[in-house]
Amino acid sequence: MALFQVSEYKPYSELRRQIIPGGRIVDRPNHFSFNTNTHEFAVPLGVDPSSFLKSCNHDGGVCIDLNHGTTTLAFKFRHGVIVAVDSRASAGNYLASKDANKVIEINSYLLGTMSGSAADCQHWERLLAKECRLYRLRNNHRISVAAASKLLSNMMLGYRGMGLSMGSMICGWDKQGPGLYYVDDNGTRLSGHMFSTGCGNSYAYGVVDSGYKEDMTVEEAYELGRRGITHATHRDAYSGGVVNMYHMREDGWIKVCRDDVSELIHRYREGMF
Amino acid sequence: MALQDLCKDVFHEAVSTERISPSFGQKTGGCNYVSRLPFTNSTNLLHFYIPVAEYLDESPIQFGQIRPIQSSEAVSFQGSLLTSSLPENLPFASSQPVPLPFPMAHGTTTLAFMFQGGVLAAADTRSSCSGLVACPASQKILPIHSHLVGTTSGTSADCALWKRILARELQLYQLRNGRRLSTRGAAKLLSHMLHPFKGTELCVAATLCGWDGGELDDGCCDDGVTETDHSDNTETRKSQRTDLEMIGDAAAEKVSESKAKTQSASFPQQCCDKKKKSFSGPSLVYVCSDGTRLQGRLFSVGSGSPYAYSILDQGVHWALAVEEATAIAREAVYRATHRDAYSGNCVDIYHITSKGWTRRTREDLKEEYYREKERRRHEGETQRDFAGVKT
Repeated sequence: MALFQVSEYKPYSELRRQIIPGGRIVDRPNHFSFNTNTHEFAVPLGVDPSSFLKSCNHDGGVCIDLNHGTTTLAFKFRHGVIVAVDSRASAGNYLASKDANKVIEINSYLLGTMSGSAADCQHWERLLAKECRLYRLRNNHRISVAAASKLLSNMMLGYRGMGLSMGSMICGWDKQGPGLYYVDDNGTRLSGHMFSTGCGNSYAYGVVDSGYKEDMTVEEAYELGRRGITHATHRDAYSGGVVNMYHMREDGWIKVCRDDVSELIHRYREGMF
Repeated sequence: MALQDLCKDVFHEAVSTERISPSFGQKTGGCNYVSRLPFTNSTNLLHFYIPVAEYLDESPIQFGQIRPIQSSEAVSFQGSLLTSSLPENLPFASSQPVPLPFPMAHGTTTLAFMFQGGVLAAADTRSSCSGLVACPASQKILPIHSHLVGTTSGTSADCALWKRILARELQLYQLRNGRRLSTRGAAKLLSHMLHPFKGTELCVAATLCGWDGGELDDGCCDDGVTETDHSDNTETRKSQRTDLEMIGDAAAEKVSESKAKTQSASFPQQCCDKKKKSFSGPSLVYVCSDGTRLQGRLFSVGSGSPYAYSILDQGVHWALAVEEATAIAREAVYRATHRDAYSGNCVDIYHITSKGWTRRTREDLKEEYYREKERRRHEGETQRDFAGVKT
C-alpha cells in the first residue's frame, strides 16, 4: 500500500469511478485475493440474482431445476486417492458432449472434479487454479488441500443463493498426506474418505460402499472406481461416455485410464441374463 | 321446525343479516362463524345465534378438499342438515386432487428379482413420515396368496388396503374359476383398480412377485422354466410390454420352442389352446398407481432404490444359488439403508418357489453395521501408520 502511494498507482476501480461516477465499482481482479479492504463481490449493478431465483422455484410456478447431471466419485485408501468421473454433458434432454472433461488438473498434486453446471465448474475451478498458482509464487510452498478447498468454498459463499450450481471434490497430496474435500455451491466443505457427487451418486455409493476395503491393492482400487462409475452410468440417464480415472500418489497424480462404459458394462454383465 | 314457524320472521331476519356480512372467519372449506355476538341487535330473546359451521355438511371424505362453489346456499340451519353428508362427487368420479393434511414422504427400499430358484423379494422395515420414523418394524412385503407376494412402496395405508382388496379379488377369482390368476393377470387387475384414482394423491408402487401355477399343464412345468429363460431374454431386450396379448405371443413362441423339445404330441396342442395360461414359472411385475405396469427380471422401488440397483446390477444373474441370491439381496438392502435416511432398521426376505413363499427371519441390520465397522477397524489397525488416511 505504501508502494502504491509512492508510485501513484491508481487501482482500476478508482479509474472506473472517475469515468462512471456513482455506483459501486469492484476491483475485479483482486476481489478473491487476501486483500482485506475489498469485501464487495462482482455482481452486475441493478440485478438481484437472489430475488430472480426465488421467482424461479416451484412456488413461483416456474421450475428451473439445477440438477447436477453427472457421476463423479473419489475415495481415499492406503495408497492414495482414486478419482473417477464420467464424461457426459447434458443440456436438458440433449447430450451436449460425450467427451467432456470433468477433472481439472489444478497442478501436479491437486485435482478438482466438476459436477453441476459445466460453466460454473470450469470457471470457478480455473479461478481456483489461478489462486493456487499465485499462492505458490507468493509463499514459496505449495498450497495445502485444505486451504485450496477453503478458497473455493469461500468463493461459493460469496455468491450463495444466486444460482450457482457446482459440486466439486478437491483431491490432493500435501504435507498431511492424501486429502479429499467435497465443496458445494452452498458453501458446504466436508473432509472425508469417500464422496460421490452428481445425480448418479447414489448408484456409485452402493458399489463403492460394498467393495471398499482400507487395505485394497492399487489394482483393486482401480477396478472399484471403474465399477462405481460404470454401474452409475448404466442406471442414470445423465451419466455416460467414458470413465476418466486418476490416481493421486505421493509424487503427484497419474491418469490411469479412459475406458468406454458401454464396453465395461458388457464385460461386467456378461453371462448375467 | 315448529319453533322456526313460530318465530319465522325473526329467524329470517337473522339469517339475512348473516348472508350480508361474510364474516372474517370465512375460508374455503373451513368453518364459517358469524362474527356477530348473540343478543346484540335486538332485545328479542328469540334472536339466537346460529353458527354456520360448514364443516358439518361436508362429508368426511372431502377432508381438505377445495370446493369450487362456496356453499353459501346452506344458510338456514335446517337446510344445512338436509343437503348434507352424502357426497355428490365420490372420489371415483372426481378428478380434483385432494390435498393431504400434511406432507407424506415415501421412503423405503424394496427390491425383487428373478433367478433360477424362483423369485426373491427383500425390503427394509422402516416406515417414515417426513422425518419421523413412524414404525421401525413395519412389514413392507405382504403375502397375497400362497404363491404371490407383493412388495409395497408409497403410502403405507394405501398399499395395505389395496393389497387386501387384491387378495380378496384373487380369492374370488380362484373360487369362481378353479385356478389361481397369474401374476400378470393380478398386476393388470391391480392396475385397473387403481386407474380411477389417477391424478389423486394415492400412491402405491408395488412389485408383484409370484410363481405362476402349473396346475393344469403339469407336463410343461419343468420345461417351462428353462424355456422362459431364453424367451424372457428376448423379451427384456426388446422394449417392455404391458399387454397380456403381447405376453401371450411370447408364450406362444415358447410353446413352439417346447414343441421341438418335448415328445408328447398332446402337450403342444394343449398349450396352443390355452396360449396365455401355459406359462408357468417365476414372474415379476411392477405396478404403480400412476398407471405403469412393467414386467421384468429385476426391480427396486423407493428412495433407497438407486443404492440397491448398483449392487444388484453387479451380482444378480440367472444361475444364482438361493444362498447367494439371499446374500446379494441382503447386501443391497443393507447398503441402501446405510446411505438413505428413509430406509433402515431390519430386512425382510421372502423367497417364492413353485411350492409357495417362504420367509426368512427378520434380521436387524444394526448388527451387520457393527460387524462391518469392527471389520474395518480391524483392517485399519493392521495398516502401517499413515497420517491422514483414517477409517
